[in-house]
Amino acid sequence: MLAVSYSLPLAGQTTATTSTVPNQQGLQSKALDLASFEKVWTTIRDKHWEKNPGGLDWTAIHDEFRPKMELAAGTPRARDVLREMLSRLRQTHFAIVPGSVYADVEPSANDETHGDGSTGIDVRVLDGQAIVTKVDSGSSADRAGVKPGWEIDGVSGVLLAPLIDRLKKDPSLTGLTLERAVQSRIGGPIGETGRFAFLDGSNHLQVIPLVFSSPRGVISSFGNLPPMHVWVETGRLGNTGYIAFNMFLDLVHVMTQFGNFVESCNRCDGLVIDLRGNPGGIGGMAMGMAGWLVDKPDQKLGTMLMRDVKLNFVINPRAQVFTGPVAVLVDGSSASTSEIFAGGLKDLGRARVFGTHTAAAALPSVFERLPNGDGFQYAVANYISEGGKPLEGVGVTPDVEVRLTRPALLSGHDPVLDAALEWIKGQRNTK
Amino acid sequence: MRRKIAAIGLLAGCLSLPLVVLPALAADDAVPQAQVTLDRYIDVTGGKAAYQKRRNEIATGTMEFPAQGLKGTLTRYAAAPGNEYSVIDIDGIGKVETGVVNGIAWEMTAILGPRVKAGEELNQSVREATFNAALDWRKIYPKVESAGIESVNGEDCYKVILRPSAGNPETMFFSKKSGLLVKTTTVAVSQMGEVPVEILVSDYKVFDGISVPTKVVQKAAGQEFSIVIASLKTNADIPPDRFNPPAGVKALLDKGANSAPAPAR
Repeated sequence: MLAVSYSLPLAGQTTATTSTVPNQQGLQSKALDLASFEKVWTTIRDKHWEKNPGGLDWTAIHDEFRPKMELAAGTPRARDVLREMLSRLRQTHFAIVPGSVYADVEPSANDETHGDGSTGIDVRVLDGQAIVTKVDSGSSADRAGVKPGWEIDGVSGVLLAPLIDRLKKDPSLTGLTLERAVQSRIGGPIGETGRFAFLDGSNHLQVIPLVFSSPRGVISSFGNLPPMHVWVETGRLGNTGYIAFNMFLDLVHVMTQFGNFVESCNRCDGLVIDLRGNPGGIGGMAMGMAGWLVDKPDQKLGTMLMRDVKLNFVINPRAQVFTGPVAVLVDGSSASTSEIFAGGLKDLGRARVFGTHTAAAALPSVFERLPNGDGFQYAVANYISEGGKPLEGVGVTPDVEVRLTRPALLSGHDPVLDAALEWIKGQRNTK
Repeated sequence: MRRKIAAIGLLAGCLSLPLVVLPALAADDAVPQAQVTLDRYIDVTGGKAAYQKRRNEIATGTMEFPAQGLKGTLTRYAAAPGNEYSVIDIDGIGKVETGVVNGIAWEMTAILGPRVKAGEELNQSVREATFNAALDWRKIYPKVESAGIESVNGEDCYKVILRPSAGNPETMFFSKKSGLLVKTTTVAVSQMGEVPVEILVSDYKVFDGISVPTKVVQKAAGQEFSIVIASLKTNADIPPDRFNPPAGVKALLDKGANSAPAPAR
């Protein structure tokens, strides 16, 4: 399947513009926005896996939102109307991507001056605080001496604690939304500098200017999906193989690297697959990767349910399969294809899952372009993991729940990884 | 009228090539027997003699998933009696290779790796690989029946249901005016499950005496893709090993993946 199971991080809302008398260009734009509205509404009517999408009277939704769309002044406001309509579904993987996102990257996918910049910091909300969980080697944060476990107090004068407090109090927001809201605050335009206020390991305030540079990895394009930076990290921890990748994208390279690594690790004591922070991507990659880990024929990770079709996420055992212990690491930012992969292997009894509950956002979806140039992501199916439960709204509960803590990170430990390694060591001793 | 059916397993079988066609006959209000419609198709696409001159073919073209913004290229080799090798290369997905040789059907993709088909999926692939299948419809479909007249995109068509000896029936729609195949529907079998498929064919062009539809639009599982054939060479110089499975598939065959028996032909 070409369905993408990817939880879109582009959650930023646009602001409405003031109403003006439309000129000729405005009339054209209005027509394109209305055509986009009809495209979105019709697509969901025809392709949503439920005949009554989200249990709603979809015709009534049209009648309610079409007048709002006609009154919307400008594409940003029209986008807001579409987003409001989509929110009625109360399902993930329905999104409107501003056309400017494509415009920024389409002129030259390799133009490093465009797009969101990174300082090399990965962050999670731990006990209500934005804590650095990882610093990329060679990044501006690394060069400035930023360490895992430091708390990010604010960026360029904007404090993070009030944002976290506010979002945590909103029962309609998921943990994934909170994490992404925080992550979006620590990025910035490439080439510019953000003033980061940290509480270091001794709880001393340090204000450090950090330059935003091109994110780690290579830019990968997949049809209408906005281009993304993709990286793969492999290594050995003693005689245990470790592999992490930030997305299920850049299909050919990531699949090749994954397969080569697993095959090179055939004599390893175990394998750790780190999907923390991985928002998903091409759903089929979960099936393909599982083929290097499952040697029994006729196995599947789960089932995708469309309106008239049921498709199994089958596993094709490869000629050379790793049969040792497999640990999969997840957290609240592991979404979509990550959940399909982790949940399916857990249900099959093939992997032990460590970490915290996943994002519960796993609907196979596709991206199309709308007449007004915006991108439109829509889910085309529900997904039931092999254990019989949907992942959407439920997620994957780890076999071993382990939380990152600031003290552990400050002391150079990763409790989730440590727990996985300890389990693999125990499996070896059991043999 | 042969063409590969659905492309459900990650584009497996994306190549849908209806490979036959016919000249117009006088319109007639009576619905002809299915056999007449199928034989007329042979005639209007070039005739029995033209088909019998063909030993193999190489087709090249492009394919596109317009809604998803994905594009690629394809090349398909086919030879009598029923060998086939196809490779589709799609931006962002990589190569999708499929083949049928000596009753073994296989697939190898960048995403799922190699696999050997079995069961009804194998039967379906072998049927689809039959070279000059239009001539052999009586062998492939022991039972055919006419099911009236239906409009396809505004064109009156004879609807014919074709039942293979095993597997799902196929329903074909032949233009009442031209006798050409316009549409096929069936339930395709893939590794991921059974999927209703609709295949629209058009833009017939003559290659070495045979009319071939050069545009194929396939709709399945909420997705649509199109194929445009740019060239088709018949009786080409195809290396004998062209139909050999790649190493990854051979490794699976060596492990015993080909346990399912080949279908009777």
